[in-house]
Amino acid sequence: MVLSRLFASIKVAALVAAFLLHGPLFAAPMESAHDLMSKMAKASRELNYQGLFTYEFRGNLTSVKVAHGVDDGQTYERIQHMDGVQRDVLRRTDNVDCLRTGDMLLRGSAYKINDQSYARLEDFYEFHIKGQGRIANRQVVMVHVLPKDKHRYGYVVAIDKQSGLLLQSVLMSHSGKPLERFQFVDITIGMPFVELGFDLDTSDFAIAALDQSNCIDDNRQITTSVSNWSAQWLPPGFVIASHQIADSNGQESIMFTDGLAVFSVFIDSDPGRSLPAIDANLGATVAVLTKADINNQEYAICVVGEIPRATANQIASAISLSPTSPSSISPLP
Amino acid sequence: MSDHKERLEQSLSALMDGEATDIEMHRLLKEVSEDSELRAKWKRYHMVSAAIKGDAATATIDYSAAIAAAIDEEPAHRQSGLAVFAGSAGRFAIAASVALVAVFGVQQLNSPLDSVGGISEFAGVEQVDEENTGPAIQFPSGFQPIINARTVSAGGNNKSSQYVTPVIEVRQQVKRKYSEAELRAYMNDVMAKHSNHAALNSNQGMLPFARLNETEAAAQKE
Repeated sequence: MVLSRLFASIKVAALVAAFLLHGPLFAAPMESAHDLMSKMAKASRELNYQGLFTYEFRGNLTSVKVAHGVDDGQTYERIQHMDGVQRDVLRRTDNVDCLRTGDMLLRGSAYKINDQSYARLEDFYEFHIKGQGRIANRQVVMVHVLPKDKHRYGYVVAIDKQSGLLLQSVLMSHSGKPLERFQFVDITIGMPFVELGFDLDTSDFAIAALDQSNCIDDNRQITTSVSNWSAQWLPPGFVIASHQIADSNGQESIMFTDGLAVFSVFIDSDPGRSLPAIDANLGATVAVLTKADINNQEYAICVVGEIPRATANQIASAISLSPTSPSSISPLP
Repeated sequence: MSDHKERLEQSLSALMDGEATDIEMHRLLKEVSEDSELRAKWKRYHMVSAAIKGDAATATIDYSAAIAAAIDEEPAHRQSGLAVFAGSAGRFAIAASVALVAVFGVQQLNSPLDSVGGISEFAGVEQVDEENTGPAIQFPSGFQPIINARTVSAGGNNKSSQYVTPVIEVRQQVKRKYSEAELRAYMNDVMAKHSNHAALNSNQGMLPFARLNETEAAAQKE
């Protein structure tokens, strides 16, 4: 009798304990995966940080030292490859406030495709918070990002708990195999800009100019020149992020993003180039080069991006010249 | 009673055939400890079955009584009241922890990526759609083309084949004359441009720059 009553009270106590233990998981302001992703979009642009990361694909491992700082509305970046040939890149982006398509999608805003339809990141990926971990001696939240279709890859990302900075990103194939791994091994975040050691006066910065990626306007769209080329098919969720008109080499480019994955389409009208139709891989990046013969003019169309090869092929074959304006891309004189 | 016996014998032959249910098994075990006739039958059945299978029928000694006595002797099996309590509490504790695990387990939200080898594996190239994996021919500067069977002579066998770090993998689709250097320059150019774009739009910070290989990084600086 006494024993059974004791059991009863233990059971009640255990149930209460169980409730108390798991209760806060529902109630606590545990950051949603979505909040984390939008925090990440902001952090990678707006924070000062420097560190060392490794990049690995197919058994090749490289390490890169980076510094990122914001000063007076401008973003400065220094990228130094630590192995192989000496390579240093200094880069400046002139407007830190420029919100781009990728930023916008990742921050959870919908991108306006047209008056009726919007593109949202959640429609194409599932986000799962997988608990906590430690990367580069910092506490991180692990997030699994799963594609909802076969047209994009998934990611396993580790986001710094304190700052929201992306400290690890593993691109995952559909069969669950890692395709590339980016991971900080050491990082310092939030130091004053001067401590980053950028020499603003004498250094030669490569300018990441505005026209390399268009900013979002008030209408939630990018202001860009209209291309004569269009994709008759795009993987769902991908929207235009920028468009560059034909440069001096006769190359026009259009970039698309779904907020995480990015691919670029290059259209070369220069008939002087004798390029083969070819598929290429660079780590997780695929390049699909196709030839198109339109109005007796030969074009090379190249799709480059971190997307499945089949998708890249499908996009490449869907790129066509708009019938309304047949000859506005002029080949080189 | 004979009805009961008949059923027991049916159960016994079912057991011999490996088809006895749990209930039949329990009933048999209970009865066999008290019913020497049944015990003898069990033993006979075993010997017959062993003989049929060709095993030597040596099981003529009945150990069951001795084993039962030995079990009774063991201190661990003499249960005190406290032991009963501890045993039940232990079971309950396990049940409670299972419940908690279930609660936390659901919280964790399983994803398909959990079931695979995990992200600690080395990153590789997805092989799913790599059907045309013919003989690899080395291009200079780290190109490693995978060229299908129709095209075999696209510029291999020069000294550049000693490059051991394949960076760009190329699969040729159409046989055609073209300038290797031009192709390389073109690929480097578009990949560099793409990385620049991606750095601004993928929200992955500086990751896209890591994707650039040596020549591309150099080209980008120019």
